[in-house]
Amino acid sequence: MEPYISVKNVSHVYPGGVTAIKDINLDIHEGEIVAILGSNGSGKTTLVKHFNGLLKPTTGEVKIGDLNTRKERISKLSSHVGYVFQNPNHQTFLPSVRQELAYGCKNLKMSEEETDTRVQRAIELFQLHDRLDDNPFDLNSSQRKEVAMASIMAVSPKVIVLDEPTTGQDHKGCKRVLELVKMFKEEGHIVVLITHDMHLIGELNCRTVVMNQSEKIADDHASVVFSDKNIMAEAGLQPPQITHFANEISHFDPNRTYLTVESILEWMEANQEEDVKVGTRS
Amino acid sequence: MNSLYMPKDSLIHSLDPRTKMIFVIFVVISSFILNDPALQLLLLVALFPLVLLAKVVKPYLVSIQFLLLFAVLIMTVHGIYNPIGVTPVFEIFGGLTFKYESMVYASVMSFRILVIGTAAVLFVMTTHPSDMASALVKWKVPHSFAFILLSTFQIIPIIAREAKIVMEAQQARCLDVKGSIIQRVKNLVPMFAPLFIITFMKVHQLSYVLECRAFSRKGTKTSLRETRIGSLDYSFLIGMLAILAFEIYVKLFAMGSLHLTTDALLTYSLIGTWIVFGFMIVKFLYKQLQGKIGGAN
Repeated sequence: MEPYISVKNVSHVYPGGVTAIKDINLDIHEGEIVAILGSNGSGKTTLVKHFNGLLKPTTGEVKIGDLNTRKERISKLSSHVGYVFQNPNHQTFLPSVRQELAYGCKNLKMSEEETDTRVQRAIELFQLHDRLDDNPFDLNSSQRKEVAMASIMAVSPKVIVLDEPTTGQDHKGCKRVLELVKMFKEEGHIVVLITHDMHLIGELNCRTVVMNQSEKIADDHASVVFSDKNIMAEAGLQPPQITHFANEISHFDPNRTYLTVESILEWMEANQEEDVKVGTRS
Repeated sequence: MNSLYMPKDSLIHSLDPRTKMIFVIFVVISSFILNDPALQLLLLVALFPLVLLAKVVKPYLVSIQFLLLFAVLIMTVHGIYNPIGVTPVFEIFGGLTFKYESMVYASVMSFRILVIGTAAVLFVMTTHPSDMASALVKWKVPHSFAFILLSTFQIIPIIAREAKIVMEAQQARCLDVKGSIIQRVKNLVPMFAPLFIITFMKVHQLSYVLECRAFSRKGTKTSLRETRIGSLDYSFLIGMLAILAFEIYVKLFAMGSLHLTTDALLTYSLIGTWIVFGFMIVKFLYKQLQGKIGGAN
């Protein structure tokens, strides 16, 4: 199958001469959720900024569907790739949530009805019925973040990029992000996540790309990446606590990586008959 | 990067900020006392060794470019059209003549801009903002006022960075930034509204942070970076005083001119600015072309 996002041998050098990403190859297909992991300054953000043309590759090529990002305008690419910035304050400026949602469609000069249907869809997806006339600045930070996401979704891009969606969110907010990501996938969107939240990736159990010092060092299923101690150490990452726990306890299947508490409970139920003696692996 | 300060190890950098502030004031006063193109040019040329001494030649040239643009415009337009001119000096195509009086006027104006600009750039590039603030405090300027000045210097790069993020965020919402002029004017709202809000939030936060560190406490405050006036500063100050005395002498007893201004000087300085301007255009075009070629790869 043709990938929807295709990144071929892309390097990016910033005007100051700093190489932010080096020779990256990455294909993302329809229906995928891709998490991009790595320490600060490893090039995650630089990589995803190539998806909607905010940055153009210094060498190599990025294709979104049939569009070559080098030749297209950011405004056009943005109707295919929605990018939700980390801080919603950088984009919110209209006096009501409704206007905020319609803003992207207006920029694309869509008709009144088209805008209405798209905004209505975003309202349904995010359950924003009660907040439509509120001023975004009166909302709390997780609600504002949700409005920011909804305003990007209103354009209904094929791909949605979330830049650290759970940073600074309370537990409820994080759970909401998890729900939303799953819902985006069900609605047929490709989701690209930049995050440090290992718990979130564990719950999503999705494809994981690990960046370290401008290079891609791993690209596999979360369970495979999280069990590879070398890669985790190289990128300075810690797997979710429950994975760590399962790795240290001898009774769990050493060939499997447990990403969530539920998966451990499942295993325990399946092995109930046995007299489980729990000891640490030496 | 904070402000335009270039940390270097040089004679100018080690001067006390107060000396340098007096130096800027001295240059401004001098440029107004000297109403003669030749003397203004002399002053401008005399400033270059200081730039060289401060080891900031390249960044200085970059930042002075914009002032040069003004100089070229003033010298060309005033030289031809200013009605005070009566004596023709030379003619270019189409019967447009440069006249002596208006050329004198235009050169004085544009050299003044360059002279003051050079001194100001030299000051900003060689003085750490904190040093400037502490120097002001030593001059009995209220501490909070000095801090306002200091934070202005530091917030400009922060705002510039935020502006870039806001622009990217709005482009990600399908805002076309490369539209017509009307479209671009309309785009100022989505650009500046979030920027203002964010800046206010940041400043508000800064005020809390300052209060948490006992900023409004009464009494004297010490400074982390001590500045001291040494022998170098004194010699610098005496030098300035001597030049000032000479300038006043020229102003009072020699009618403010040493009669060094000639047609040739005016013409050459005009052509000189044109040549520099031409270089700037060529460089600009070269960069554009390079961008186009780089984009096609």
